[in-house]
Amino acid sequence: MKISIEKSEARFLLRLADTSTILGQRLAEMCSRGPILEEDIALSNISLDLFGRAEELYKLICTIENASYSPDDLVFRRNEREYFNLKLVEQPNDDFAWVIARQFMHDIYAKAVFSQLVNSKNSELAGLAAKVLKEIKYSYIHSKDWMERLGLGTEESNTRLQRAVDHLMKYVEEIFMFDAVDQENLADCALIHTTWENDFNQTLAACNLVRKPVMPLTMRDYRDGFHSEHLGTMLSVMQYLPRAYPDAKW
Amino acid sequence: MVNPEHTAQIWSILEQVPDPEIPIINLVELGVIREVEILNDQNDLKITITPTYTGCPAKKLFEDLILEKLHENGYPKVEIISKLNPAWTTEWLSEKTKEKLMKEGISPPTIGDRIVQCPLCKSENTKMVSAFGSTPCQSLYTCNECKEPFNYFKCH
Repeated sequence: MKISIEKSEARFLLRLADTSTILGQRLAEMCSRGPILEEDIALSNISLDLFGRAEELYKLICTIENASYSPDDLVFRRNEREYFNLKLVEQPNDDFAWVIARQFMHDIYAKAVFSQLVNSKNSELAGLAAKVLKEIKYSYIHSKDWMERLGLGTEESNTRLQRAVDHLMKYVEEIFMFDAVDQENLADCALIHTTWENDFNQTLAACNLVRKPVMPLTMRDYRDGFHSEHLGTMLSVMQYLPRAYPDAKW
Repeated sequence: MVNPEHTAQIWSILEQVPDPEIPIINLVELGVIREVEILNDQNDLKITITPTYTGCPAKKLFEDLILEKLHENGYPKVEIISKLNPAWTTEWLSEKTKEKLMKEGISPPTIGDRIVQCPLCKSENTKMVSAFGSTPCQSLYTCNECKEPFNYFKCH
């Protein structure tokens, strides 16, 4: 199935929707693997929020594009190069510190983005953003809390979180390489970047973590559908059933 | 002309649709059902709903349960429209609904989650065990006085 999305607003929302879907799927992989029961429930809850957010965004996209495809088609019938999620969120769950660092980096970004979308001219998007902001608050408190616990915990937990931050930092730069589509749909792109930097740097400092220089980016932009090697294998697992049994209903 | 009694009658039918997760309250009390419109002066209905939480697994079930109840009551043609604006908020829960939740053992939402009362002994000396609970709308708490573990309905 060839799905083409043309309108600027729909293309912009697709980035947010895909980022939600892929992070949701990564967190779903943690189900039954949380370090304690409450944490397992927390990660599954956040995963559910992300899938719900993605679904509502895909519905908006279908409306804007007056589409013949459905939100399910968007999730299950597109290939790697047709996905437009941040590379950050497709990175695997190497260990719990990675899950937390990735989540925190995402949450401060998502919080800044949806804070601007509450004033969208598209009233349905504005309503969704208002809802999403309340949900992100819980995820943000959760990931920030764990940043502190791991960063200020033991030598081992600090080492692992530092390692996760060091690795994931290389996927951060592209988040702020805003293009025309971003500019058209966000009130203030620069503010998203500065908000992110402030929150991130303050948190690192408070958690006894350091920000190391990152090698210049050699990967191409997620906005053009370029990804790390992890997205393909992830999609093959996620899309297996609907691809093998295209008419399956559940 | 739409007969207001007819509209009221449909609302009372909808009040018979329980929340699938918290059956003590119905979907009207929960604030999920926003508008009822009678089309063409006939028995065709348009129902506007607002999702509580974007990731609520009961989202689809809400629609199925509404359709089922209206079909049972002689309304075969029902269109359900989902509206995101204004966003659903726990402020739409009435005091009466909050009392019902309390009786069911679920501490109702308070502004800013500041005062969380134990549904068993009514103490406000409680602590959060986990911000995330058995459903997306609830957190896990424990009472410091009577030690009762309970769910708290998050303020949204």
